Amino acid sequence: MASSLSPECTPLKTSYDVCFNSWFEGYLEPAVSALQTADRAAYAKANAEEYELKCGKIWQEYKACVHKAIKDNGLEPVLQQAREEHPLATPPSSSEHRKA
Amino acid sequence: MHFFSQSFQYDHPWSHVVIGMWRKYPNPKCTHVVSVDVVDRSVDPQTGIIRTERILGCKQKAPRWIVKLFGGSEDAFVREICFVDPATQNTTITSVNLSLSQFASCYEVVRYTPSSHNRTAFTQTAEIQARMALWRSAADGLEKWLCQRFEQNAQLGKTAFTDVLRALSEERLGRPAMAA
Repeated sequence: MASSLSPECTPLKTSYDVCFNSWFEGYLEPAVSALQTADRAAYAKANAEEYELKCGKIWQEYKACVHKAIKDNGLEPVLQQAREEHPLATPPSSSEHRKA
Repeated sequence: MHFFSQSFQYDHPWSHVVIGMWRKYPNPKCTHVVSVDVVDRSVDPQTGIIRTERILGCKQKAPRWIVKLFGGSEDAFVREICFVDPATQNTTITSVNLSLSQFASCYEVVRYTPSSHNRTAFTQTAEIQARMALWRSAADGLEKWLCQRFEQNAQLGKTAFTDVLRALSEERLGRPAMAA
């Protein structure tokens, strides 16, 4: 796994990555083949809950560490600005152009 | 404004490619990427779409005039937003530079979609533009350098990711991975 931007967050990051990758691999195949919309929504909901259950705690710990590292490295202002310019709450459409 | 685009086919199913995405770094062919952090992640309980926001830390030698003029340093940070939609088998990754963002913008969009049962289409586009009304030769010089760096890293990224996918595939089949 790659390191974190702050060495003290790297162990938390590694634990979180392992948890997420394992959940993600289990999630993907059946999600791809859940063709019925009703199945898909139920499956998505169940898996979102499973993700929270399995990885929720380690995620909170890692997230707290990395957000502090972002502050300490002076990245918060540029990150905030980038989020305002391109919130990207939903996937960009193919025809969308970036803001100048 | 400089544009860049490339497309490519990976000889792996879409799900294998998206699993491999999270394992791309660290990578001996992309030593410029030194840190990767997830700053936000959510799973939409209705659509099943996974949204991930990451910050990647890169170290690259910048020409001295760029460092002097723009106060840049070797450290460059990038913000990446990734959407994985298992229902439609679409992955979209948008990246933009955080460092030197007041001077120039490098906005990249990558898409992975299945082209067949066992192949995945990859498309990548980038728009690189100096932002402020800098004097023209400096703006041009900065754009050119960013573009060269981008193209170089894009080529490295492609071969590096091909290696990762192959190794992952062999690991899953229980065969030892070939030496890189």
